[in-house]
This record gives sequence, structure tokens and C-alpha cells, in this order.
Amino acid sequence: MRYLLLLIMVLALSGCDHPSAHSHKQQMYVFGTLVEVIIWTEDEAAATEAMSQLSAQFQRQHQQWHPWEAGELHTFNQQLTTGEPAPIPDVIAPLLQRASELSVASGGLFDPSLGQLVKLWGFSDNLVNATQPPDAEQLADFIKQAPHISDLEINNGLAQSHNPLLYLDFGGFAKGYAVDRAIETLRQMGFDNAIVNAGGDLRAIGSKDEWPWRIGIRNPRGEGLIASLQISGDESVFTSGDYERFYDYQGKRYHHIIDPRSGYPAEGFSSVTILHHDAATADAAATALLVAGPEQWREVAKKMGLSQVMVITPRGEISMSPAMVERIRFEVSPEPDVNVVDW
Amino acid sequence: MLRRGDYLVFLATLLLLPWLYFTLWGDQRAGAYAQILVGGDQQALVSLHQPQTIEVEGALGLSILEIVDGKIRFITSACQGKQCIHRGWINLGGEVVSCLPNQVSIAILGGEQRFDAINF
Repeated sequence: MRYLLLLIMVLALSGCDHPSAHSHKQQMYVFGTLVEVIIWTEDEAAATEAMSQLSAQFQRQHQQWHPWEAGELHTFNQQLTTGEPAPIPDVIAPLLQRASELSVASGGLFDPSLGQLVKLWGFSDNLVNATQPPDAEQLADFIKQAPHISDLEINNGLAQSHNPLLYLDFGGFAKGYAVDRAIETLRQMGFDNAIVNAGGDLRAIGSKDEWPWRIGIRNPRGEGLIASLQISGDESVFTSGDYERFYDYQGKRYHHIIDPRSGYPAEGFSSVTILHHDAATADAAATALLVAGPEQWREVAKKMGLSQVMVITPRGEISMSPAMVERIRFEVSPEPDVNVVDW
Repeated sequence: MLRRGDYLVFLATLLLLPWLYFTLWGDQRAGAYAQILVGGDQQALVSLHQPQTIEVEGALGLSILEIVDGKIRFITSACQGKQCIHRGWINLGGEVVSCLPNQVSIAILGGEQRFDAINF
């Protein structure tokens, strides 16, 4: 009996020796933001290898996709401005195709051809490098001849621009696209439980053992969190807000999301939060809906195939789609009133 | 008649009270430490219960951080937009504030980390 008891105790203790899954985190500065990757696994060596592979992948994408720094997109843009047919680089082709589809779906409110306009405002480098808005006349002139992605004619791997102001900048979407590719890489390496968080916009897959991932949503006005939600499976959470990159000039805030119709920063919403399967769609949609504003956001959301959306106005008024209400839990007290819109 | 041992018990109880207060009544989400990173590498790990100002040399220049009452914030930064300063105090486990141009970040560690990631 004594030996049996000893055996049971030894067996129970041996359970403690099994490595258990836990989260491995790494932060990297890339795309002008802080990217955090979390992998839930028991294999520390494999997680370390994955982090280093992802870091290299992000650096490569940053260099290839940057509109103004030497790289494939920059060279391609230079060729397009000549008006002659230019070969589409392999590393740009899938981005261009997806961005064009999303631009059409958004009714042009997300438009990757407006690199020159973004530059005029000083937001072309992910970092704010302007202190005052551009000249009003200069903006008006630009808007009169504003390019659209439809000005780019694509035939047999060649692209030809029919507007000299067209300049590709995937800023409103590249982060999401990169997050999708990172999740793809992680899955290929055998990781099914992870988060890729690019400067607050993220895609989460799987879970932590049986527990869902818990995501907090920052309050667009003030400190702390406004809400939270849980993810288990595969979902992206993207928020666009007027507080992310901006400058104040003569008492007015000018933020980085420019309305292609007016040439000025979009007005009407402080933030738009989207829950969707893929990160590229969520990224472009968050931009498009912030531009769409209170009158048009539902129409644009439906056209882009979204069902889970939350919008917050500068006065703190919150509206949500019915499917989003089911997902959101408020983290502020008292809970704010929510306008649940018809969908 | 109180004995020496009784006084020791009283003393231990008094010393234990603040710990019990913070453990049972304090904000369980509040973190205990701040991890300060420059370019993604840890520069320092500091207690949030030790008021101080910390100077950190980033990619562009100096960032100064302030710790008061278990919270931390940027008070000076070499960047142009000062958005790290606008962000204000942080103290919850898992919260992160970054000065992207200067590549200085603060991540709150410890506490009951209720969230795996923060969307903003």
C-alpha cells in the first residue's frame, strides 16, 4: 500500500514536468509602427524561429511597398508617372489587385491612387512630418484633377496611368494585407493560435488552450478602454480614428485620413471599428467608413460585405450594427447609450 | 496582560494591512512594473510604485517619463507630433504607449492582464 501511494505521488509529480503552452511575445518596429506578435505554443524554439522569420518578412514588405522610399513600389510609381505602360512588379501585383477590388467596393472612399494628396498633407511617411495644412488653392486644384484607381489601365501584366497625378500609396490597407500574410506564414509553420497586432490593428487565430483571446478597444476620447470583445477562431479587429496621426494648427485638429471628395481630413467620426475575417478588408473598410461619415457608413459597410461595425462620433455618440452589439462588452461605467442601426 | 509575542502579532497585522488593501481592494488590473523599450529592446524594468522621472535616449533624442501613483506617462519627447504625451497615463496590465518617431515604448507588466491585445 505504501509503495502504491508513493507510485501515485511520483506519477502526479511527473505531470508537472510536461512543457505547457504559453504565450511568446515579440515586438518589432516596422511600417512606422510597433508590431507585436503573440504565439501560443509549448515549442519555444519554433516560436523564436517564427518571430525572426516574420520580422524579416515585415522588413522586406516595408521596403517593397513603401511609396516614397527606394523599392519596388517607388520605382513602379516613377514609371507610371511617365504615362507609358509599365510592368507590374510581382511583389506589387497581388496588392494592387486586392486594393483595386476594395476601392471599387468602397465606392472610391478608399482609394490607393492618392499618394500625392497624402503627401501634400504631410502624412506620407507613417509619421507626421507637417505642422500646417497645405494651401487651400493647391488642394482645390488637386481635387479638380484628382486621380482614381480606375485611371490605371491593366493589361497582360502591364499598367498604364491615364492621370499624371496618380501615385500609388497602399497606406490605408498595407498593414492589414501584411497581417494576413503574417498569419499565413504562421499557419504554414504549424501555429494555429496566435495574434498579429500591427500598431493596434490585429488578426487573432485559434485560442489560448480553451480560452478565447481577449481584446480591449481603446477609448477614442480619453484614457483607458471603452469596450472589449473575445475572439476564438479567426477574426480581425481594425480601428481607424482621428487620434492616430494628426497635428493641431490654429486650434483645429488635422488627422491623416483624407476624404478623396474634398481633399480634407474626414469629418463626422472619431473612430470606426470593424470586425471581419480578413485583415486587408477590415483595414480598407475602417478607412472607407471613417470617410463615409454618419450619412453613408451603413451603405458602404454593406457594399463591402461587413456585418460587425461600431462607429463613435466626436461627441461620444455610439452606433453599432446589430451583429456588433452581440460581440461588444463595455468597459466604462455607466455604460453609454448605443444606437443600434437597422441592417 | 499582553506579552511580547502579542505585540509582534499586532505589528505583523499592521504591516500586512496595506498589502491586503492593495491586493483585495485595489484595481486588480493595475500593473506593477513598466517595461521600457527602445527600438524593441528592453532598456529598463521599473516599479510603478516608486515615483520618479526617467530619461530615455531614443532614435531622435531624449524622452522623459514620469511615474506617479502607480501610473506612467511621457512628459517630454524629442518627436514632432507629441502624440505619446497626448496619450496620457497608462497603468493597466498589457497597456502599451509608443513614441514611434523616437522608437521608445512603455509596456505595463503584471496585474491581472485582462487583455491579450489592445485595439486602437
